[in-house]
Amino acid sequence: MQQHQMLNKPDGTEQPAVKLEDVKKVIGGKPIIKGLSFDIYPGEVFGFLGPNGAGKTTTIRMIVGLMRITEGNIYIHGKSVKSHFKDAIRHVGAIVENPEMYKFLTGYQNLIHYSRMVKDISRERINDIVELVGLKDRINDKVKTYSLGMRQRLGLAQALLHSPSVLILDEPTNGLDPAGIREIRHYIRRLAEEEGLAVIVSSHLLSEMELMCDRIGIIQNGKLVGVQNVHDFVQGDSQRPIRFSVDDGDQAAQIIRETLDFEVINHDNDIVEIQLDTEQIPIVVEILVEKGIKLYGIISAAKTLEDKFLEVTGGRDIV
Amino acid sequence: MSSFFQLIQNENMKIYRKGANRIMVLMLLGLIIAGGLIIKFSGPDNTDAHKGNWKQELVQDNKDMEKQLKEMPAQSQTYFKKEIAINKYRIAHNLPPAQGENIWGFVKDMIGLIMVISIFTIIVVGTSISSEFNWGTIKLLLIRPVSRTSVIFAKYISSLMFAIGMLILLGIVSWLVGGILFGFADISQPFLQYTDGKVTETSWVMYVLKQYGLNCVQLIMMATLAGAIAAIFRNGALSIGLTIFLMMAGSTITAFLAKYDWVKYVLFANMDLSQYLNGTPLNDDMTLGFSVIVLVVYYVIFMIFGWLFFTKRDIAA
Repeated sequence: MQQHQMLNKPDGTEQPAVKLEDVKKVIGGKPIIKGLSFDIYPGEVFGFLGPNGAGKTTTIRMIVGLMRITEGNIYIHGKSVKSHFKDAIRHVGAIVENPEMYKFLTGYQNLIHYSRMVKDISRERINDIVELVGLKDRINDKVKTYSLGMRQRLGLAQALLHSPSVLILDEPTNGLDPAGIREIRHYIRRLAEEEGLAVIVSSHLLSEMELMCDRIGIIQNGKLVGVQNVHDFVQGDSQRPIRFSVDDGDQAAQIIRETLDFEVINHDNDIVEIQLDTEQIPIVVEILVEKGIKLYGIISAAKTLEDKFLEVTGGRDIV
Repeated sequence: MSSFFQLIQNENMKIYRKGANRIMVLMLLGLIIAGGLIIKFSGPDNTDAHKGNWKQELVQDNKDMEKQLKEMPAQSQTYFKKEIAINKYRIAHNLPPAQGENIWGFVKDMIGLIMVISIFTIIVVGTSISSEFNWGTIKLLLIRPVSRTSVIFAKYISSLMFAIGMLILLGIVSWLVGGILFGFADISQPFLQYTDGKVTETSWVMYVLKQYGLNCVQLIMMATLAGAIAAIFRNGALSIGLTIFLMMAGSTITAFLAKYDWVKYVLFANMDLSQYLNGTPLNDDMTLGFSVIVLVVYYVIFMIFGWLFFTKRDIAA
């Protein structure tokens, strides 16, 4: 687990880059999105996680204006996507699902095409972006000769062309080799940390999300099940719940409370769960043994993101 | 914000960089040249054998036609009356008819290729809209600070620009091919026009431009219909197939419905405006003004439907 410093904690003092306000979407009389509200702040990478059909893509399409918002509103830097689309979308760069480009044009012509749709993009800016995504040698080849990874890079180039402050990436590492994944991940982190971009990433690769994101929002059945900090979510190297299997959990909990200043999270007949550092485990063991509690086992209850994800979404409930 | 001009530039780049569209341009050129060669080598010999006594020949022709005219029903007489009048005018003003094909005759023959240009335009406008959906590029196209309205209009206008370019190409190339194959000698010959029983002289250029203009009515209506269908159904095959079918079957449909009074409100009955300039209209109470109004109404309906569906519908695919 890498340490990510959040530059901007969502503490309510800063204007969110993207704000969803009770967003609903009804398609053919069927509610697909049932009221989503969350904020994404500059400088953070927000992971959008959910089982297939949960409404991730629909939500992303509503943010970028490809789909109409049935109810509620989405603001990008305070501008409503509904009523001020041009002013809102100007700040956004995105890849929606696969980066589909014009295959009969060269990579460079594709970028020229998109640069004409925004004000003031110089040839230098295009060249810089091409170099940045590592397509310099192939940019004058037709896109139909590109590998999926190269198309992904070109997709990233078109998304970054107009220096957006909000970047939305659907499955950004799809089709990339491990080196490419690492590169894109570092690049996304750098964009967020150094250039203060708000990045929304959706991915089905949970381990990827763990490495890339600061916060993760889990969506299921069109509802937000939870928005959590990745650190709180998975528990880092510091304190985490440790579960002790004992003969008398209640008594053990009482002993810990009386003798040590540790937080007992949970206890019943045969277990006691305590929030501990690794170094504190022997101290607890010593006390319990000294007080005559029989100790059968010690388990670190730290959850991986995947555990947590399955727990939150109910695991099987893919609708 | 980018200007509308740059959107047109984008659409033009997509039209002319595409192999299929380049082949259409080559096909048009090929058809003109092939047409010229076929007429040149299969038509009557272009000899000067009868040059001296063309007047006697026309007099004889007129006698034959007048004989036929008497045995004919009234509706079919127009063509012969016109031919006789023009022949008389030629004799009176000493204007010999062309022997075989000449440059202007060839340009006139090639006006039929505007039908081919219409089909090409239908294909260009249909694919320009629908392939963005097929390729998925519509998702990257519509997430720019540009309204959907300007995107669809840029597509429509660039397709019409393609049609205009093809028409100019047809005019110039058929004139050049005609001149090269049949000689430029007849360039200054006047065109004899027959209206209301009178023969007048106009220039061939004016005549050809008028014919191009009349044929453009169908081109524009069909291109607009193809664009509307593509925008509504987002399906290129449907848009192109249905529009070309309607264009081809239009006159049959009109003839089939001719017994009904409401046929005059059918699009295809109004698309051929030449019915008012030479010959009789399909229906007695149809006038040029009536047809123009009907065409405008259809045009506006196509535009509104295409625009509404393109700008309001979700991009869900």
